[in-house]
Amino acid sequence: MQVEPGQRVRIRVKVNGVYYEDEVEPRKLLVDFLRENLNLTGTKIGCDTSTCGACTVLLNGKSVKSCTVLAVQADGKEITTIEGLSSDSKLSPVQQAFKDNFALQCGFCTAGMIVQAHYILSEKREMTEEEVRDMIHGNICRCTGYQNIVNAILDASRRMRA
Amino acid sequence: MSYAGKSVKRLYDDKFVTGRSTYVDDIKVNSLYATFVRSNVAHGVIKRMHKEDALKMRGVVAVFTGEELNQLIKGGIGPWTTYIDPRPWKIPLWRFAQGETKYNGEPVAMVVAQDKYTARDAAETVNVDIEPLEAVIDMEEAKKDKVLVHKELGTNLGYVGDFNAGDAEKALSNADRRVEVEIANNRLIPSPMEPRGIVSQYDGANLTIWYSTQIPHFARAEFSRIFNIPESRIRVIMPDVGGGFGSKAHILPEELAVIAASIRLGKTVRWTATRTEEMIATNSRHNVFRGEIGFKNDGTLVAIKGTLDVELGAYLTYTEGLQPTIIPPMIPGPYRVRDLAIRSRAIYTNTIPITMYRGASRPEATFIIERIMSTVADELKMDDVEVRMRNLVREDQMPYTNPFGLKYDTGDYPTLLKEGVKVLEYNKLKEWAESERKKGKKVGVGLAYYLEICGFGPYEYSETRVNEDGSVIVAIGGTPHGQGTETAIAQLVADELQIPIERIKVTWGDSEAIPAGTGTYGSRTLAIAGSAAMASSRQALEKMKRVAARSMKADVEEIEYRNGEFVHKKEGKKMSWDAVAREAYSGKEPGVSASVTLEGDVTFPYGVHVAVVEVDDYGIARVKEYRAYDDIGRVINPALAEGQVHGGGTQAVGQALYELAIINENGQLAVTYADYFVPTAVEAPRFKSYFAEKYHPSAYLTKSKGVGEASLIVGPAAIVRAIEDATGKRFNKTPVTPEDILK
Ligand code: FES
Ligand code: FES
Repeated sequence: MQVEPGQRVRIRVKVNGVYYEDEVEPRKLLVDFLRENLNLTGTKIGCDTSTCGACTVLLNGKSVKSCTVLAVQADGKEITTIEGLSSDSKLSPVQQAFKDNFALQCGFCTAGMIVQAHYILSEKREMTEEEVRDMIHGNICRCTGYQNIVNAILDASRRMRA
Repeated sequence: MSYAGKSVKRLYDDKFVTGRSTYVDDIKVNSLYATFVRSNVAHGVIKRMHKEDALKMRGVVAVFTGEELNQLIKGGIGPWTTYIDPRPWKIPLWRFAQGETKYNGEPVAMVVAQDKYTARDAAETVNVDIEPLEAVIDMEEAKKDKVLVHKELGTNLGYVGDFNAGDAEKALSNADRRVEVEIANNRLIPSPMEPRGIVSQYDGANLTIWYSTQIPHFARAEFSRIFNIPESRIRVIMPDVGGGFGSKAHILPEELAVIAASIRLGKTVRWTATRTEEMIATNSRHNVFRGEIGFKNDGTLVAIKGTLDVELGAYLTYTEGLQPTIIPPMIPGPYRVRDLAIRSRAIYTNTIPITMYRGASRPEATFIIERIMSTVADELKMDDVEVRMRNLVREDQMPYTNPFGLKYDTGDYPTLLKEGVKVLEYNKLKEWAESERKKGKKVGVGLAYYLEICGFGPYEYSETRVNEDGSVIVAIGGTPHGQGTETAIAQLVADELQIPIERIKVTWGDSEAIPAGTGTYGSRTLAIAGSAAMASSRQALEKMKRVAARSMKADVEEIEYRNGEFVHKKEGKKMSWDAVAREAYSGKEPGVSASVTLEGDVTFPYGVHVAVVEVDDYGIARVKEYRAYDDIGRVINPALAEGQVHGGGTQAVGQALYELAIINENGQLAVTYADYFVPTAVEAPRFKSYFAEKYHPSAYLTKSKGVGEASLIVGPAAIVRAIEDATGKRFNKTPVTPEDILK
């Protein structure tokens, strides 16, 4: 695709079950598109080197760091953000498990962590503690020391299997 | 019904787990976006600014220089005079860089534009001619005063103070043994996950500022002083804050520039730091203690003499003045040593100014004294526990006034050590590690003890308001930002008022909704804000009793309150909490609220922590297990307290092994998470956290002491000791890197 400087590109995405169409600058990051154009501020920005995972969303069911994807790359795709994980104000098992296990403190990493947890549990229902730690390796939390997050994910996996 | 002591679930988690939290960057207001042009030299004269190209770009509103911004920024930044006596200090004026730049990364110009992308594009086109001056990056060099950071001060030594107690010289000469020590903590980056940010709105008369801060009220006072605007016309609102760890108890030039721009342009202006900017914004630690210790052959430490050098960076921040004055008096820690002579110096360098980070000065003091204890143990081939046992202040000496006059309130230090060793299975772990080592594995176990000073005054505010429907709002001056203290405080208030916790809302962080406040830092909030909340709730309950008495035509003494019911003792008449609340709004003097401004002073929690470390063939160390046994006074919510142990413990792993702010010879900081390694779930240890069953209370109403910083205070010492056990080598600094281990 060739675009002139300053030119915008029309994209159509389905976010949390709703279709949106908008014109974006080709360089606009998906995370900025979600936060600024769609007002979905649940997805956070924690770094500028794609290291922290605060911006994690599901793109066609796979977890991605939305600060490493351009909005135009999401054209025609389906995105799930933290806002899309609970339906009818009922918390998902992962969200509930985070609450029950004291798996958050300041909450800034929480959206990314929970989306990542949803992803890993969609891939594999039963996991060891080591595996969980490996799978959230790309999500930094500065507050909790991770133990309660790992416990929450293991707890959620039990709930989802029950 | 009692809530205190139970792991009640955090009250306000829903918004965080569903993506409805509101941090400062999530606030939707029509605003311009600021970004900064930064100095690329450590010291230089700012010659000329080329802003023409930027101003021609679509969407660029303004480019400001220091000269322009400082017309509004009248006062300088820091120090925090509530805690720091500025008199012995040499303090440079710190505003937005004007004339000279003093560190690499310092903002030297500001771009304001329609949106974030435009602002960042425009900033790249702004050229600032800076003529380099000789800079001094290294603290050791700076001490020589050959190159001065601030010519007008005449020296790089911002502070020199002598902390003398007893007669260290004599005690040293009488000692059986004397050993030289050098103990250092290197520079860190606190790195809360939410980068700092601010939104400033000026409507011609009033300023409204949304600010990622730990100290909204103090910020209001400082903005008032700096911009010469009455406090009454400034409202500071702290939205959800994504971690602070001390770094957000500071005001920086970038933030003042945003406010100045909003006043000057008459528009709302915002800035959210990128991670790079956040890393440049706040660095912490870096200090070295060099000296000599004397001890007896039985392991009794008798003297400490030496010099403590603390780096300041280019300017004096709000809190860095604490370090050189709190570290020395805390060096004796929980031990009886009484002869000390410590010269404390604080040194300016052409580097990023140092702010505080979790523990601020207690981690340094603890690392120093615990390294000293371990040194004594090694020299005498004694056990770590035995050496500490020999030196700990005994229970019959409590309350104990330390050689520098600090009064340790309550505790039984030797008993805690004895219990801790047992509960944490220290000896068993040591034996296990030894047998593993025989099999060729490099594993080790380390132990360290700490005494913390926390619960700082001077005061905290609380108001308890009973609404017409009987629900209750507690407005506190403390400013929790992740710790969960609001839940613990709701527990305390629910117990005081004997109503379900669901009926209580704790609110904080808005300088207009909360008339006064000090903030959350220094492990103080539960003790001081919690006690204030208990006190204001007690007063509110008294008022409710009076309403009940009036309504039941009784004397207030005849009214008894129990489990949500006011009972007229003689007549057996009853009124429910809700009925009394409603009544309170219908008679004379309507409404029920009570506020207190509670004064308070420091308290001293303590504990013993144990780390298990494994080192691989590449010298990479991992903390496999981390165990803690603490007496933090009364524990109101064990799960929240444990969370603090886990979080601080993981930061301790970072400090001990991985985290090091690297500044090159040009004073440039390496600013990515690839260079500055914050522990992930893979590096974080497994935790076991226990609290002493027989706790020793503080003087606060809550009887609690504090736990927010404990693990980062003692953890580095425990972890370094474990690496020594694993490798048989000696280390006296943090971090201990693979290079150090393989050397
Ligand atoms: S913001 Fe995307 S990984 Fe940090
Ligand atoms: S809860 Fe604060 S960063 Fe994870």
